[in-house]
Amino acid sequence: MAIKLTGGQIYDPTHQVDGETRDLYIIDDKISHDLPAHEKVTQTYDLSNCIVMAGAIDLHTHIGGGKVNIARTMMLEDQHAHPHEGNELCRTGCGHVVPSTFTAGYRYAEMGYTACFEPAVLPVNARQAHMEMADTPMVDKGGYVLLGNDDFLLNMIQQGAEQSTINDYVAWILHASQCIGIKVVNAGGIHAFKFNQRRLDVDEKSPAGITPREIITKLSRAVHELGIPHPLHVHASNLGIPGNFKTTLATMAAAEGLPIHLTHIQFHSYGAEGDYKFSSAACEIAEAINSTPNVTADVGQIMFGQTITTSGDTMMQYFGHEHAHPNKWTVMDIECEAGCGVIPFQYRDKSFVNALQWAIGLEIFLQVQDPWRVFLTTDHPNGAPFTSYPHLIKLLMNRSFRNDAFNIIHHDAQKMSNLASMEREYSLYEIAIMTRAAPAKILGLSDHGHLGAGATANITVYTQQDDVERMFAKPALVFKNGVLVVKDGDIIETVHGVTHVVKPDYNEDIEKPLKKYFDDYQTISLPNFKISNDEMEECIGSQVKVHPCDKS
Amino acid sequence: MQFNNVTCPHCGLLCDDLTVAVDEGVVQLQTPRDVNCSKAFADATISADLPSPKIAGREVSLDEAIHKASEILAHASQPLINGLIADVQACRAAIALTEKVGGVIDHANGKNIRPNVAIMQRLGKVKTTLAEARNRADNVIIFGSQVLDRFPRLMDRILKPEQSLGSQQTINKSITVLDAAGTETSPQISQHESINYQQLELDSLDSIIQALQNVIENNSATAADDNLQILHKLRDQIYQKNYTVLIWSTSLLDAEAAEQTIQSITLSIKKVMQDVRCVGMPLGGSKGEITASQVVTWQAGVPLPVAFMSGVPQHDPVLYNGPEMLEKQEADAMLWLSTYRSTDTPPACDIPTVVIGHANMRCDDAAVFIPVGIPGIDTRGLACRTDSVATLPLLKIRDIGLPHASDVIEKITQQI
Repeated sequence: MAIKLTGGQIYDPTHQVDGETRDLYIIDDKISHDLPAHEKVTQTYDLSNCIVMAGAIDLHTHIGGGKVNIARTMMLEDQHAHPHEGNELCRTGCGHVVPSTFTAGYRYAEMGYTACFEPAVLPVNARQAHMEMADTPMVDKGGYVLLGNDDFLLNMIQQGAEQSTINDYVAWILHASQCIGIKVVNAGGIHAFKFNQRRLDVDEKSPAGITPREIITKLSRAVHELGIPHPLHVHASNLGIPGNFKTTLATMAAAEGLPIHLTHIQFHSYGAEGDYKFSSAACEIAEAINSTPNVTADVGQIMFGQTITTSGDTMMQYFGHEHAHPNKWTVMDIECEAGCGVIPFQYRDKSFVNALQWAIGLEIFLQVQDPWRVFLTTDHPNGAPFTSYPHLIKLLMNRSFRNDAFNIIHHDAQKMSNLASMEREYSLYEIAIMTRAAPAKILGLSDHGHLGAGATANITVYTQQDDVERMFAKPALVFKNGVLVVKDGDIIETVHGVTHVVKPDYNEDIEKPLKKYFDDYQTISLPNFKISNDEMEECIGSQVKVHPCDKS
Repeated sequence: MQFNNVTCPHCGLLCDDLTVAVDEGVVQLQTPRDVNCSKAFADATISADLPSPKIAGREVSLDEAIHKASEILAHASQPLINGLIADVQACRAAIALTEKVGGVIDHANGKNIRPNVAIMQRLGKVKTTLAEARNRADNVIIFGSQVLDRFPRLMDRILKPEQSLGSQQTINKSITVLDAAGTETSPQISQHESINYQQLELDSLDSIIQALQNVIENNSATAADDNLQILHKLRDQIYQKNYTVLIWSTSLLDAEAAEQTIQSITLSIKKVMQDVRCVGMPLGGSKGEITASQVVTWQAGVPLPVAFMSGVPQHDPVLYNGPEMLEKQEADAMLWLSTYRSTDTPPACDIPTVVIGHANMRCDDAAVFIPVGIPGIDTRGLACRTDSVATLPLLKIRDIGLPHASDVIEKITQQI
């Protein structure tokens, strides 16, 4: 039995297909370019006047884990203001800024997304993060597990452990936490904050006796040597601080030429020039990305309005708590491995700083030349909720729309930005790269993010419209693993995605020092810390899909 | 048969270092032998004559009981899904059921959840977790010696570590326990000579905490009476030490004052944080309320208690307060979910009650009683720890034919 998609304009950058009209077939959960002799077409969709892309992939969105629940509790008014009724297919829920799990899954699917990745899975909180993601229907999920502030690693580095031992630990933590990548947040800074240190620069020794640079260097090498497809995912030091672009450049250099992904880089691209001692360093950052092929980044664009910031970076969240709106904030130290800070925030276009942050994000998008190395994110919910993606796409694709928006932000911010002079308009092909092909490539999901023969049939079909915001907000059809789940922007079938993970090889001797560490210092036993595949399926509620690591 | 690294779900600490032997359905704690805790698996022995499901006290098949339960809940106009003394999977099932019947969902310990949620919504919080308290803290202040009775291994496992990632001061923490005068003192106080135990001439823990806030916020240099001298000394100590943990259990606070008290703790910590590290560590979860709170918050998007009457989740701690709904007769049927202990029986009420409970539970008044497995003994599952961060696995270590509560609830939901 086959489904035929005929007459659509195909955008498949993985195979350099740029808007050509071609037919596709869906056979079971796979894409085919031909109809095998024994197959019969049971349903045909006429997609003339439609755009066909692979299902979109969000590689950085906070959708699971304790911090999101804290945010949901703190944002009660927003939750109540955005109720979502259930029906025979869909569970009820609520929330715009930090939606309930079911609601998040439906909203993503309605926008044509088929996979989402939670970028801050604390090892000790991994079960909860996976449970929340298991209760997020419609999309595949995955997580990046947090290292770089855990006492075990910091002590290993401080004591001069061999790189191979660090590699073993990194591989072990991926197995134990069922994740697909490694994330570092303010390397060493969350740990230092527990010692009442309020700032930590890249080359400053932390209370652990090592520098953030050393942590980044060791971890990026570990990720590389283990063959983990996704580069070390780095939330750099000094988030939000004027002049922090120098820290960001130093962080890029810390990878010593190995792959490194700088996340929500907009928050790390600030100069300290001008009357406000706050300026755009988007040009310096974009130039660095352009000239450093081992570097990728997602932007973390901000949008004006109310949101809430959730981060592992207790040091910088505490620093920013005076800007909380409404005035409440949460900070937690967590289990000798991490932390969490949750602060409601309102970005205002009439605030100089917020207006310039908005412009800086767009400047980075428009100045990074290679769309394979810059990704479309708002660091949901930190810059804005993920539902603002269609608006962001329009800002990138339509210069006059962008300039109209620019003309109403804070006047002094306009003077400090060269955004209005940027002529670039993203093409549909480039949007398909940054929201599909490139995220799949950088995550090592070889059968996702493209429309090649044999790919998983995650397909999004848009009816062509002049207004791309409307077009991307409400796809005509969304297929998830070959099942039509969304029609004209509405859910018509519910499905559950899988959890994508990697399980690199490692020397199991690493469990000897780990066992001693857990016995001597921790409050959970080592066997109970580890999440098995079986537990993922039976108790947590999600099937695991393992992707290969390539050490060659 | 022997099982290692077994998690005990009977208080929020979720100690997972137990070795347990199971012999012909009888569960016995093997190690640690000198454990200062009588809670672990005290209620795990089920009569060899396995209790049957019952309708109005009459023994029936499981299918009949499920059918009757679904009838009761389907015909109710405002059912209350209550208790939630259960693991993650059963809480998930209970939420789906509540949504289906358009009911209200609350937890048996809702009175302890509500003040914490209210302060989180008003101020946020500054908290820590067990391993941070164990390794980082050099100064601990516990409000109420009975905290040590309710969390029996807090001292042994968390606050008196043999080794620490930190300095010697984190091994030999300064530990102060405060009680109101006339309070019964926990026997653990005399077992730990190093504890600085003080009874203050104040009428409650709430008064002590609020007085400490005054001392911290006003920063007055002198103290007139003995109480204030103790509190001033504590304030000075907080500023001299590196990492202070304030520990309380909402269950020991006055229900009327708890919100104000937790606000005082939060404001005190935020004031101290301007200069030195200070954190809170509320202890709770003895009836699984941390688990229920977490699951409800992520699935519904709002914290307990939640009503689904209008078809969307609505949190209102006043309107949807389980005990008050029963008292005011605002609910016309109840499902009581209680799987850890036979003593956690449903509150007295005269509305039809479906009990999904511990097999040893006596609840003769229930319209329907369905015995289910004990999580961590009869059924596999997950539970969330007091700090709302760690989730621990609960093992299935025996099979005497008791179903998982979640399977029973899912079947009830399917029939509605």
